[in-house]
Amino acid sequence: MFKQTLAVTAINLKSIPQRPGMSAATVLSIALVVGVLLGFLAMANGFRATVQGTGADDIAVVMRAGSQAELNSNLMREDERLIAEAPGIARDADGEPIVSAELYVVTDGMRSASQTPANLPLRGVGPRAPELRDGFTITQGRMFEPGAAELLVGENVLAEYEGFALGEPIRLGSNTWTVVGVFSTGGTVFDSELWTDAPVVQSLYQRGNSFQSVRLRLASPEAIEETRAYLDAEPRLNVDVQSERAFFASQAGGTVTLIEYVGWPLAILMAIGALAGAWNTMYSSVDARVREIATLRALGFSGFSAFLGTMVESLLLALLGGIIGAVVTWLLFDGLTASTLGSSFTQIVFAFAVTPGAMIAGVILALIVGLLGGLIPAMRAARVPLLSVHGG
Amino acid sequence: MTANALYELSNLSKRYTRGREEITIFSDLDMAIPHGDFIAIMGPSGSGKTTLLNLLGGIDAPSSGEVRFEGARIDNLSQAKLSKWRAANAGFIFQFYNLMPTLTAAQNVELPLLLTKLSGKERRKRIATALEIVGIADRAGHRPRQLSGGQQQRVAIARAIVADPKVLLADEPTGDLDRASADETLKTLQLLNSEMGKTIVMVTHDPAAAKYAKRELHLDKGRFVEKEALA
Amino acid sequence: MNDATLVRKNLFRKKARAILLIISIFIAFLIHGALFAFNAGMSGGFGAVAADRLVTMNRASFTVPMPYAYWGRIQALDGVEAITPLNWVGGYYQEPMNQIQTFAADPESYFIVYPELTVPADQFADALSRRDCAIIGRSVANVQGWEVGQRIPLSSNIWQRDDGTSVWEIDICAIFDAALDNVPTNYALIQYDYFNESLAFGRDSIAWFSLLTGDPDRNDAVAAEIDALFANSPNETRTQTEAAFGESFMAMFGNIALILTLVVGAAFATILMIVGTTMVMAINERIKEVAVMKTLGFPAPRIFRMVLSESILLSLVGGLLGLLAATGLVTLVGAAIADYLPGVHMPLSVALTSLALMLGLGLITGLIPAVTAMRVKIVDALGKS
Repeated sequence: MFKQTLAVTAINLKSIPQRPGMSAATVLSIALVVGVLLGFLAMANGFRATVQGTGADDIAVVMRAGSQAELNSNLMREDERLIAEAPGIARDADGEPIVSAELYVVTDGMRSASQTPANLPLRGVGPRAPELRDGFTITQGRMFEPGAAELLVGENVLAEYEGFALGEPIRLGSNTWTVVGVFSTGGTVFDSELWTDAPVVQSLYQRGNSFQSVRLRLASPEAIEETRAYLDAEPRLNVDVQSERAFFASQAGGTVTLIEYVGWPLAILMAIGALAGAWNTMYSSVDARVREIATLRALGFSGFSAFLGTMVESLLLALLGGIIGAVVTWLLFDGLTASTLGSSFTQIVFAFAVTPGAMIAGVILALIVGLLGGLIPAMRAARVPLLSVHGG
Repeated sequence: MTANALYELSNLSKRYTRGREEITIFSDLDMAIPHGDFIAIMGPSGSGKTTLLNLLGGIDAPSSGEVRFEGARIDNLSQAKLSKWRAANAGFIFQFYNLMPTLTAAQNVELPLLLTKLSGKERRKRIATALEIVGIADRAGHRPRQLSGGQQQRVAIARAIVADPKVLLADEPTGDLDRASADETLKTLQLLNSEMGKTIVMVTHDPAAAKYAKRELHLDKGRFVEKEALA
Repeated sequence: MNDATLVRKNLFRKKARAILLIISIFIAFLIHGALFAFNAGMSGGFGAVAADRLVTMNRASFTVPMPYAYWGRIQALDGVEAITPLNWVGGYYQEPMNQIQTFAADPESYFIVYPELTVPADQFADALSRRDCAIIGRSVANVQGWEVGQRIPLSSNIWQRDDGTSVWEIDICAIFDAALDNVPTNYALIQYDYFNESLAFGRDSIAWFSLLTGDPDRNDAVAAEIDALFANSPNETRTQTEAAFGESFMAMFGNIALILTLVVGAAFATILMIVGTTMVMAINERIKEVAVMKTLGFPAPRIFRMVLSESILLSLVGGLLGLLAATGLVTLVGAAIADYLPGVHMPLSVALTSLALMLGLGLITGLIPAVTAMRVKIVDALGKS
């Protein structure tokens, strides 16, 4: 039984070069299906990794109740002081709470690739802001001076936008700034931002002494409950507190879902198209070998071995297509940067991530195409009438 | 040369090269085929029988020499002119019938009429007549797969005569048929020659088939050896 | 019988093969038609109804406010025929997820700048007479099930009132409709003064102006004039046509056109390969028949045309079915989402592109087989048995 199948399979595989065009078309069309699927999944995964990777469990974001996005929030200087008194906040060696009151305005930059203007967030931060971003490092230059119109730019901004070279003056709106440093937080959304001293933003953008959010480092991830209870009970405050991870997850969810909801149906539709192609190829394969199969059957080979031989050929072509699709997509797209609209109408730069999980999903889709595409032709191979041995 | 010859072949040679070797099939062949003739060309495999038939049918060109049909050369015509010439003057019958598997018998017969400007009505009349002549009118709606070899060959003959060509060129028309079907086919050809005046050139290796012709020509090593037919 | 009969019979000679090819072509054209129709619907949502309508916003971003006082200064310019100010409200009803796109507006000038919107005269008069009146779009009324005369607590996720709450009580006094299907009515207008006077912060600011120039040829000049007026002020402006704003807004989501082109390109590459190789194989299978046709006297150019017609027919059958399915899908989904994204339909331009692609696909996949068939040497082909 096993030997029979092996022999028939070997005959099948050796006949592939007789149909180079059709076999290659099947492999490549399956590769394209896998490529489209992985392209969308890489986009979704990359976006999710960037936005959710930004969120830490031991950092909390406080905003005005119901505001959902930083741009909609509004907090006063007194609010910051009240918030900083809450329990559960980590303190430094001197006993000072680690908090940063921040506000954020939208300004415009010129995308260097497309030469189109796009919105860039300009974030005014407190001196402790770097302590509230894990992995923060200044890669070039230095920190901005308090009170000066100096910018610390995220490394994605440097890569994607024009005019942010270190030491250069840059005009944003009616104000001129100097870029004094470049920072990285290891690929999080903050790398798409411009940072400066909060009071500078307040004064240049007529924000009085208002902020939008207060970020604070928690003594432990669980301490957020303690902090929340305190803030909810404080009558002078009307604020929501959530962990940074929860905050970003709520911001990213919609976009990720949208990309996945577009990507999967498209890939499945295309897979049906490729299925028709695979089916067609396998039909031709069986057609071309009707006489050969009949001869084998006359020699005593079982119909089942003819069935398996065709299935193996189909699955092998599909597997090859799936692997080519996955590897090429990985080579082309993994790490490719793109940007889209994040929360508050500003741009988030993210990198496509072709994950092993997605690659496996792609190869499985390819195998399903091969399985379904080979099934009916294989059944036909099993039923080739013995009389076909005489040709015709 | 006979004044009323349909075909006149003069100094006809056909050579081709296989690899570095030049192979001569025949050279300096002269021959005339009068109107109303029925010739059986016989000879061993590779003697050039089919090549000669192809030259007569204008589907192959000689290496040198001339093929005249009703006095006009056809060996130097362009492909487009040859197509027209074939459609108007020659009917072909093949060993394996070469019917279109997707078409019914009647549609197969109709094929050559697509090259004419006949009306639909006239076409239908001609198809019916042609099928009648070969005795297969009752199978007009069948596809080739549903017909026996003998029946298929009769449809093929109907296709060859439907456009009323002057010459029928048959290449081993009975080569794939059993004796009874072969005799039927040959009788039909004989009838077309005697009653309808069709000139027929038939290539065959079967002496029994050749007996139906008016005369036999033996082609051997590129030379003709003529014999008067017994029929 | 004629050549078309032969073409059709040849195409469907192997039924399973023809149907499979038609399915793969069908899918590529379904993807193309549906994706590009939705894309056109999304970009067209900004309604290029009035070619002479401009929007002026803060140069930094449309999220950065401008002083209300700019209204009078822009209105005084010669080229400005009509102008209306708008501010974001960030409205929602009861639940933050149940968003009602709401603008604080000046209804009187708003409906002059947006003449494609209609309000019943008696409702409009009523709405202008009372400060807490809202005029809501038909789609909002449909989605929320609201009627004229209802009183609604409208919350804002951006603003706060000076009493510390974020809720404005409004009366629904009028419902506006659009003259055309693709003009959105999925938003509500509340009176600017009523809204502004109770704000805890950000009073007397607006998000953008919409204005008419009266003549599209004057757009550039008027835009330049407005932006020059505020150059080097703390709030510089950017004035552009409504269509240009729509495009730049869509562009912020990323290069959607590029993604669509890549996806559709992949789908078409797939069918090009599948159909192309199958057509080549199909002709190779019947070389002998082609030789017989030639022997019968069919001229080579006619055979070339017949093979090419076969691939074009195949492409048209699959393609037209795909376009039809895409149109059906877009029409159904378009009707279902009309209250959120109006005007989604199969645009003529997409249908025409689709037709051109069908012909192109047919020509490309048929060319090699047609040349092969045309060049068939009768003697060689008949020699093979």
